[in-house]
Amino acid sequence: MLSALFQRNSVYVATVFGGAFAFEGFFDKAINTWYDNHNKGKLWKDVKGKFLEGGDEDEDDD
Amino acid sequence: MLSRTFRAGLTVKNSVRSLSSTTKTLSSYDQPDFSSYLHNRSESTNRNFAYFMVGSMGLLSAAGAKSTVETFLSSMAASADVLAMAKVEVKLGAIPEGKNVIVKWQGKPVFIRHRTASEIDEANAVEINGLRDPQADADRVKKPEWLIMLGICTHLGCVPIGESGDFGGWFCPCHGSHYDISGRIRKGPAPLNLEIPEYDFTDEETLLVG
Amino acid sequence: MFRSSIKASNTVFHKAAIASVGLTGLSASYLLYKDSMTANAMTAAEHGLHPPSYDWPHNGMFSTFDHASIRRGFQVYKEVCAACHSLNRIAWRNLVGVSHSASEAKAFTEELEYEDEPDDEGNPRMRPGKLADYLPSPYPNEQAARAGNQGALPPDLSLIVKARHGGADYIFSLLTGYPEEPPAGVQLPPGSNYNPYFPGGSIAMGRVLFDELIEYEDGTPATTSQMAKDVSTFLNWASEPEHDDRKKWGLKAIIVISSLYFLSLWVKKFKWQPIKNRKIKFNPPKN
Repeated sequence: MLSALFQRNSVYVATVFGGAFAFEGFFDKAINTWYDNHNKGKLWKDVKGKFLEGGDEDEDDD
Repeated sequence: MLSRTFRAGLTVKNSVRSLSSTTKTLSSYDQPDFSSYLHNRSESTNRNFAYFMVGSMGLLSAAGAKSTVETFLSSMAASADVLAMAKVEVKLGAIPEGKNVIVKWQGKPVFIRHRTASEIDEANAVEINGLRDPQADADRVKKPEWLIMLGICTHLGCVPIGESGDFGGWFCPCHGSHYDISGRIRKGPAPLNLEIPEYDFTDEETLLVG
Repeated sequence: MFRSSIKASNTVFHKAAIASVGLTGLSASYLLYKDSMTANAMTAAEHGLHPPSYDWPHNGMFSTFDHASIRRGFQVYKEVCAACHSLNRIAWRNLVGVSHSASEAKAFTEELEYEDEPDDEGNPRMRPGKLADYLPSPYPNEQAARAGNQGALPPDLSLIVKARHGGADYIFSLLTGYPEEPPAGVQLPPGSNYNPYFPGGSIAMGRVLFDELIEYEDGTPATTSQMAKDVSTFLNWASEPEHDDRKKWGLKAIIVISSLYFLSLWVKKFKWQPIKNRKIKFNPPKN
């Protein structure tokens, strides 16, 4: 399975570069999710429902 | 004498490292202990693992390099304050029918004309095949009643005067170019019609140039 | 015998080194002690009282600003500070997505007038504000600002948190640190106020924040310390608008670069293994 990627150098290099793109997307998404979760309730998107009436998001924290 | 001192000083098992290379010492040469380097993986697993580690390092380096290059390239893009100035919003409700308004957009004048129905008919009635820069009126406007174009004469960059000239449109005082009510060149030295900028109607009342 | 001579010289050298280190230490502590006897310079009174470090919501390595606090702080700035202090590095568009929506920020700008390009006759014109405009200054120039404040210039607040030791802690302490009356024996120049956190103790700005001075739109009780906290948070954001993104990038960089470090350690070991384990065998010629 994994070793199939290592048989030919072209496949290997292509996997590494393709993987870099895939990794970047995944990693950014994961970090953003964690970061937003870590700072929940402080970010503008979390508090704007409290200030804007009839805004596109209605979140009431307390 | 010296070697004896060294030998006494070194408590390591293999004293071969001393300066002596006599046969006597060599015969007592021990195999160094490589057990910490040994593992019980199969050869193919081991090779795959090595490829995986090297590949992972390449992957992370490539992702980091890509991100770095992107950062440098994006630093050459227009900054936020320039982008914020790059668009002009115009309230159309304040422009009565049959009137011209000139707004500044990126340092250039933009003509906005609220055309009357007769002017629209006039612009559409023109036979475009005989024009120097043939272009139908419908290709020059998004809404027929609003004509939006850059107020820069295509000849040498003067600003034409509105509601004048032989064709009821614009007239450039510098070298006498006449534009019609669709901003098309009809007479004079200018080679092209007045340019149409990027614009959009964000709602019924608002025009966004840029 | 060779070694023992080295040893002998070593001991002499050792003793000399120990003696000189001891001498240096003793004279240094004597000088420090003498210095501490004179208290007229380099004291809290001259440098300002050191502000305590407060537990800001954005203190953590990966913690963002409290954006509700930024919004309230902007209200405090607009209704209180903006009477004297400019904030001329912040544009209205900067507030969008941070503390206000685009339509709210537009509503602020439409109340204001900015200088437009002159008309065809060269007369100056005014136009309504745009999102791209910067926050207006209370005074047209420095001279006017000084004239309006008995010669003292209210500093621009755009970078004040970065420009003062203690940052947001200092701003908060200064705003809440005005005592009822100056301590006995303190001589203040006319028109100035006493604040222990301000270097020198005498500050031209008076106490401005009082309980219930403004009314928050979200119903937060507008106590002095609440307003001071909010406006310090707002000014901290104004100094570091990139703060939230910066910490996110820091997190990403730490993860990627430390992974790369450990991977490269492994790869180095892997590449060097055959070289480090290589043994060269020498067969001496038989005859």
